[in-house]
Amino acid sequence: MPMSTNPDGSAFSRRMFLERLGGVGGTALLMAGMSALGFGIESAAAAPPAMSGGKGKKVIVLGTGVAGLTSAYELASAGYDVTVLEARDRVGGRSFSARKGTTLTEIGGETQVCDFDDGSYINAGPWRIPYFHRGYLHYAKKFHVPVELLNNDNDHSYINFEKGTGPLGGKIVRKQEVAADMRGYATEMLAKQVRQGALDAQFGAGDKELFLDYLRSEGYLTKGDFKYIGAEGRGPLINPGAGLDPGPGKDSEPYPLSDLLKSQTWRTLRSVSSLDQQRTMFEPVGGMDQLPAGFMRNMPPIVKLQHVVEKISQSPGKIEVFYTDGAGQKGSVSADYCVCTIPLSVLRGIDLQVSPKFKEAIGGVSYALVGKIGLQMKRRFWEDDHHIYGGHIYVDDPMIGTISLPSTGWLADKGVILGFYPHGAAAAKISAMSLAERKAYAIAAGQKVFPQYADNAEGSFSIAWHRVPHNMGGWAQWTEEGRAKYYPTLLEPDGRLYLAGEHLSYLTGWQEGGIESAWQQIAKLHKRAQAA
Amino acid sequence: MPARVIGFAVALSVALSVAGACAAQAAKGQAADGATLFKQNCSACHQAAGQGIPRSFPALAGNAFVQGDPKAVAFVLLNGRGGMPSFREDLSNDQIARVLTFVRSAWGNRAPPVTAAIVARAQGGIARRQDSPSVLPYH
Repeated sequence: MPMSTNPDGSAFSRRMFLERLGGVGGTALLMAGMSALGFGIESAAAAPPAMSGGKGKKVIVLGTGVAGLTSAYELASAGYDVTVLEARDRVGGRSFSARKGTTLTEIGGETQVCDFDDGSYINAGPWRIPYFHRGYLHYAKKFHVPVELLNNDNDHSYINFEKGTGPLGGKIVRKQEVAADMRGYATEMLAKQVRQGALDAQFGAGDKELFLDYLRSEGYLTKGDFKYIGAEGRGPLINPGAGLDPGPGKDSEPYPLSDLLKSQTWRTLRSVSSLDQQRTMFEPVGGMDQLPAGFMRNMPPIVKLQHVVEKISQSPGKIEVFYTDGAGQKGSVSADYCVCTIPLSVLRGIDLQVSPKFKEAIGGVSYALVGKIGLQMKRRFWEDDHHIYGGHIYVDDPMIGTISLPSTGWLADKGVILGFYPHGAAAAKISAMSLAERKAYAIAAGQKVFPQYADNAEGSFSIAWHRVPHNMGGWAQWTEEGRAKYYPTLLEPDGRLYLAGEHLSYLTGWQEGGIESAWQQIAKLHKRAQAA
Repeated sequence: MPARVIGFAVALSVALSVAGACAAQAAKGQAADGATLFKQNCSACHQAAGQGIPRSFPALAGNAFVQGDPKAVAFVLLNGRGGMPSFREDLSNDQIARVLTFVRSAWGNRAPPVTAAIVARAQGGIARRQDSPSVLPYH
């Protein structure tokens, strides 16, 4: 084994390092250290709990979002006798892709039929998988659900900030221009101060020169005098090419700093993306519903569709779930335990035989207002004419939120654009519009950026999750008080009833929250069932 | 004319008319009446006749809180409550006054109007932080 040496010359092996890590930080730090050293050991939340010996004990799982599917799959694999009730006529819950013929009627809304072409789809709920969402990737790999890159940041994309002021106010600029110029000016300004000695007190020995090197590198400053005069990466006026024309091309000039500042476009820049927005991001090939389909391919036929839960009662020996099925027939199913992944926004309307404390906790969480629209375009003008491949168009109209371009079907004839993705009050406003008004609003917003937008818009599909039956919201929104007061209550079972879902995680709104919550809750259930 | 071309023409004209209407609305500033403001901002959740959705969105028709202390109701619109988002960034005090006045006298409700001055006195809470302070999409 290769050895390093300590400062005193003694040998220092990888094993010694790991042992010391374990001594300091216990198993978690040891495992992190091993993972960092390439031993391939993931964190504890990367794999389902090891369970076996279910011995045919009966479990009802409610809901077939990823939390319900995870629970059902793992419990069934461990030998439990699992029955799954799903309210809808499809599995997947919010992991839902709208395609040609998909029907949706929001509460208080018109019936909508998606009019995309065959093969086009929009992920109407979750749409992106961060690289550290290991539960999701575990099942994608296990069930052979291929994933592809989702382009979550595109240098060449546009910013359209209509609320900006000054000469650039309301002008459409490329993100690369703003990034190069802002960082160029900021580092130039700082380098000037550093070189004048104004910040000498900040630096230890040798650090000032290193800091200047960093500033020059970061901002593309000139070598001798640390000036920002532009950068190739801001995009040339004319791209270099062959011969003399275009030959070397033609550089573009930076925007004046004051113009950039007033435009507000710098609000799109961060040093690093937030963790759950970082590259590499994935999406499953063919739509977000592919992972639920993967679960279903690998499970026995234990799912009963169109079974709407109305009541759950408990007695010392069992838990009983009462439902109405697709034919309008009422029935019930009994079991030893129940794993309920119904969103709390819906669960609070179900007749539950639980403690008052549990019931209060279920009612103590609000759910997000959120909407999306997919617009099928008959030509990929954003690729062919604007050379933007995936990524987001940054807008400051909260009723739009973002315009996002597909990361699949590159160079194809058609493509589906995410035309809006508003939250909160903005989502309330968009969702008050009729389907036709929503589409028109989205088209008008895109038309401001792409002159080809309206001409190429074909089919559409919009959704407002706060108005969707069986969801009544996009995801759980915990307040600090709620986390302290209600969250711990819901993590524990009430009698034989276990809850699971993104609402019982710190990854609310992500499928990973549902998957990891399911793992934790079924592990608790299994431990108890084994002891019983 | 092929159906698709008609579809585009309709879509474009709807887009232009909606854009036009929005621009006109913005140009008129605060001129939208309470009923219109309700339809645009509130009806998605509280439903067209204020009937709400049981256990999801409270009914406003016959609602005691809505017909009670106007400052308290204005506070909810400014700051949000539970699942209800804050409308502080979206509606002026005058618009909040108009929509509340409408709600307090619609569908059998009988409560005094709300003025912009009352709404101004309800300021002082901290609007629940918009979920994401930056413009970048999340989730």
